[in-house]
Amino acid sequence: MSEMLRAPAEVEYAAELDWLESVDDGPKPFSWRLSPKMVRLFVLGSDRADGLDRPVRPKWFGDRGIVERAVVTLASDRGLLLVGDPGTGKSWLAELLAAAISRTSTLVVQGTAGTTEDHVRYSWNVSMVIAHGQSRASMIPSPIMTAMREGVIGRFEELTRTTVDVQDALISILSEKYVAVPELDEDNIVFARPGFSIIATANSRDRGVHDLSSALQRRFNFVRIPTVTNRRSEAEIVRFRTTDLLRRHRIALEVPPTLLDVLLQSFADLRAAAAAATGDDERLESALSTAEQIGVLEDAVLHGSFFGAGTGALSAETLAGSLVGALARRSPEDLAILNKYWHGVVEPRSRDRGGDWTGFLEGGRRAIAALS
Amino acid sequence: MSGPFAALRAQLLAAAEALTGGPAGLPEILAGMVDDVDHVLREPVEIFPVCHHSPASALALVRRLRARPPKVIYLELGEDLAPLLTELRHCRLPVALQAFAAEPDGLPAAAAPLSLVVPLTEASAEYQAIAYALADPGVELVLVDRSTDHVFQGRPEPDRPGEAVGVEIGGLRPRLAELEEHLLRHGRVRHWSEWWDQYVEQPLAGADHATYRQVMVLIGSLFRRLAPPGTRRHATDEDRERHMWTRIRAHLDATGADRADCLYVCGAFHAASRLPEAGSHPAAPGVTITARTATRWRYGLVPASHSAIEAQFGLAPGSVSLAAATWERTLRRTGLTPFTPAGRRAVRRRLPEAPAPPATAAATVTDQLTGYLRRPAAPDGLDEEELRGWCVQLVRLARRNGYPAGTADAIAVFETSVLLAGLRGRARPTPYDFQDAAVTCVEKERVPGRRDVRRLCEILLGGDRTGQVGYAALPPLARDVHDRLAPLGFDLERRAVQRALLDLTARPELAACSDLLWMLRYLLPDRVVRPITGSRRLGAASLRESWDLDLGRHQRAVIELGYEGVTVEQVLEQRLRRAVRQPGATAATALRAVEHSLLFLRSPRLTDDLGARAVELLAAERTVDDASTVLRRLRRLLAHHRATAPALPAWCERFVAEGYAHYCTLLPTAFAGEETGARQVGAMLGFLFTLEGLAPAFGCDRTQLELAVRQSHPRDPVKIALLWAARHQLGLLPLADLRARVDDLLGNPLVLPAVPQYVSGFVLALEPVPRLAPFVVEMLSQAFARLPDPVLLPWLPRLIATLRTHAAELVPVVTREAGRTFPATLAELDVWTAPWHARAEPGAARTTAGSGAAAAGALLAAHPAATDAVAALLGCAGEWSPRGERCS
Repeated sequence: MSEMLRAPAEVEYAAELDWLESVDDGPKPFSWRLSPKMVRLFVLGSDRADGLDRPVRPKWFGDRGIVERAVVTLASDRGLLLVGDPGTGKSWLAELLAAAISRTSTLVVQGTAGTTEDHVRYSWNVSMVIAHGQSRASMIPSPIMTAMREGVIGRFEELTRTTVDVQDALISILSEKYVAVPELDEDNIVFARPGFSIIATANSRDRGVHDLSSALQRRFNFVRIPTVTNRRSEAEIVRFRTTDLLRRHRIALEVPPTLLDVLLQSFADLRAAAAAATGDDERLESALSTAEQIGVLEDAVLHGSFFGAGTGALSAETLAGSLVGALARRSPEDLAILNKYWHGVVEPRSRDRGGDWTGFLEGGRRAIAALS
Repeated sequence: MSGPFAALRAQLLAAAEALTGGPAGLPEILAGMVDDVDHVLREPVEIFPVCHHSPASALALVRRLRARPPKVIYLELGEDLAPLLTELRHCRLPVALQAFAAEPDGLPAAAAPLSLVVPLTEASAEYQAIAYALADPGVELVLVDRSTDHVFQGRPEPDRPGEAVGVEIGGLRPRLAELEEHLLRHGRVRHWSEWWDQYVEQPLAGADHATYRQVMVLIGSLFRRLAPPGTRRHATDEDRERHMWTRIRAHLDATGADRADCLYVCGAFHAASRLPEAGSHPAAPGVTITARTATRWRYGLVPASHSAIEAQFGLAPGSVSLAAATWERTLRRTGLTPFTPAGRRAVRRRLPEAPAPPATAAATVTDQLTGYLRRPAAPDGLDEEELRGWCVQLVRLARRNGYPAGTADAIAVFETSVLLAGLRGRARPTPYDFQDAAVTCVEKERVPGRRDVRRLCEILLGGDRTGQVGYAALPPLARDVHDRLAPLGFDLERRAVQRALLDLTARPELAACSDLLWMLRYLLPDRVVRPITGSRRLGAASLRESWDLDLGRHQRAVIELGYEGVTVEQVLEQRLRRAVRQPGATAATALRAVEHSLLFLRSPRLTDDLGARAVELLAAERTVDDASTVLRRLRRLLAHHRATAPALPAWCERFVAEGYAHYCTLLPTAFAGEETGARQVGAMLGFLFTLEGLAPAFGCDRTQLELAVRQSHPRDPVKIALLWAARHQLGLLPLADLRARVDDLLGNPLVLPAVPQYVSGFVLALEPVPRLAPFVVEMLSQAFARLPDPVLLPWLPRLIATLRTHAAELVPVVTREAGRTFPATLAELDVWTAPWHARAEPGAARTTAGSGAAAAGALLAAHPAATDAVAALLGCAGEWSPRGERCS
């Protein structure tokens, strides 16, 4: 684990999953390692009423109903398609579910414009084929085929980024639950073992690029992940991910809670401004998602840790610099919006409230001036 | 302490002790709850705790009433609403009892109109109590809660005046936000309605009388004890409890009714009251019921709907519909017959009779709470057959709404419902699980039709139901509307848009219907009655009209109109009078009221009153903001009166005279002031010039206008142009001078950029001085010809915008004049010379003019008598100039 830059969820939370498995006495569908109730508990965390000896931290923050619907879908005959805006935590939820259910979340096909049907089904090791001919040994199974063979959860990221013919390769996998290998004369069908299912994700902003065929739509249950608008939940998410990040990078830098408030407040302000804008030029190009907040904080933490004043705490100036750096993508439009925000909102706030807002004002001004 | 609950109390106290470190008040709360239950059970008048929109409460009450019919029912409902209840016989639920006061007297006027609504659904205990009492004349129903007037006394002013105050019987929900959040989190449910359904409603649906009562009081007591104390709401609740018990004791004293024959139906929150005033013991302290204010309240029934109830009381969408579905399902399953007020349905006693619950004997009270608290919630969910039926129906409904759903989806919904119920710890799926499962399996990327799957589930489970108030229960005005529209031959209670065609030539008797429809159109919201063809304007009459009538769905609007008067005419008259008397009324609004009275009411007396008020308002006005509206309306009214009557009404004459003096006085200020727009000045001039012929007859002096124009010194080019036009109209500025001034402007490079504004001013002047049209066309043509592009192009959009805003008045004048000026065909264009250029060529023009003038001069000189006589009449000396000299 220490050699991994980022451990997958099943490794990261191996101890917790082991313990949950040992105390789980609920009925488990197919070859699931945990019962649906325990999966839900692993994802959403426990509270006192669950009567567990040790607390389970929440790992995904959102509506309980969403997780329940997702878990239940995986126990049914259909695949699960998580749909939502970028940065809403679709992939993270998919990873957690796969880790909890089958202890493997790495059987992933990343959907891109270049994804081919071979990535979904199987391909061949050409040198082995030349040497020994086509056989099971010379076949390279895709992550999905491996998931089928092992009866575990396979993942398909950004399903709607792939072309329609690649998407449609999933239809037979999801309905017949086997993949035929016509190149082989015998042993030419790979059957899915019980417990196999697919969690796919789709970005709702990609709608219209490669829409799913209705046949494939029927084989997936759609679960929509809404954007987090609740300030409290968002704070939880940002705190959770930042702690994780600091630990991963072994950085001893304190992020003051007041600074976290400044970050959340500024994102909330900018979102409100984007909602009120009438044209694209008055709106930042960024989606201002929670993931982007985490990105800003991550950048600020790294910057503060390596180039900071050495105070051991993240400064408001650094945070402002990272925020401007991350959000100013277009010049002059984005810079103009940020400039307006800094002068119209941050400046009076710094006057009224002082504290971190003063440093935030200074840092932001400097960053905008440097980029202009 | 002994008693039926001693064991439970001891157990709870032990639990409180075990939770060391818990809140200090915990033992008191836990033991207090059990004490509250014990206390309620000892009360001689049986207290029946209920919760709003709870089928379990309604079922328990039906069972109780059937098992041991009481003779007196005390109900937590405003005492002044009693006369309305009998009208429920004519209604289809849900409906709401409404108290309404348009003009508060003694209550805060800012909140007017005051409105209070008490919605009733069939699946509610209060309705069952009312229906039971209505069906049996031997039963007395006593409403004991405070009257509507008391509700509004001392109430803080609402954020949105005029909004109805909703009152629920048995509102039961944690007052402490943290408690609700805690219950939801631990109950693993999404919202309060679901929690209630799972943990109280369903376990109690089949419970016996004793269990039901004890559990409901326990919950009421819990919420009461954990409610934040010292709040205004808490104080109001306590006041209400004192009021209700005082009323109950007064009734018991007055009638001598046996307490064992009485039943007090109230919210569980109030049932658990431990106030000293709560109780039927004659020695209990009472309160003095304060007097009502002088506000005149009107009462009526209005239709309500499930969705309106949910919105008003902050319930989860669909929860009232689900409660209605549960009620019907339980009735079917148990064979229980609900009460109906009219007694239309035969009351059958199919229920296996429960033993009559003991009323007072505490000795026979047994502890039912321990069992309830120990047992896990055993939901009374859907059985397999029912769930299957729903899955199939939902898929069918989804297909009809554009979803590509099939049998496979029905199976998936079924499977997912069962799995979700399992995950949520329920033995059988509830409608909420079914709804979630349906959304998961059927909802895809986009909603193909108007309704999404969640909404379809609500429709499937009964849908949003809207009640209807029957004809007999309608107020006189609404009944009158129905009667007067009867010749149209429509069922006005139908909940659909109906198209009525009125051929007023073939069926002149429909003219009365048409009149009424126009009045309703004026008084009611937009969609209730809508004319498709036909219009009602001054000076125009429709031969045929067609209307879209949607009175069935907007019954409430008609009923609320009924609170204002007995007939539509009366309400309309009141509204018109109110419109001209309200603080913000202006002369323009008064003229509009006059116009409406002419259109709808044809009452000369009212029209004169409104007109007189218009004169008063105009005299009091100090601004000219409404000048254009006043001018437009006055012109219409004058045209109407001239066409229909030999003489103008007195108010009209006074208005003209007053307006003439008013606008003359304000003209110089309006020309100079920056805050007055050119449009208003144009309208003022319009008023003055339009009435120039009329005003002197009513005592106005033209010199006043001339002086006013002379005193005007505008700086704004638009207004300068207007002033020039005005002076031209008064004969103070000949056209030639005007033309010369414009030429100067066009020739002066320093003022060239302002020329477009002058042109705009002249365009605006077309309204007061229409004879300037040829000059305006000339001016426009000159501007197009001579202005440089950098000046011309930015101005064009503004010109078009000006013309568009005055399209009705200005465009026809300009186009007609342009049509006269410019050639109509290409062939003519080649030889065409603009008239103003032609004038500039001295030879031809002068010759023509000269020859004509010479002939006329010769004629007049030959016969001087007539000319001399005219000169003598005008008071001129009259001198004949020598022949050949031209006069200008």
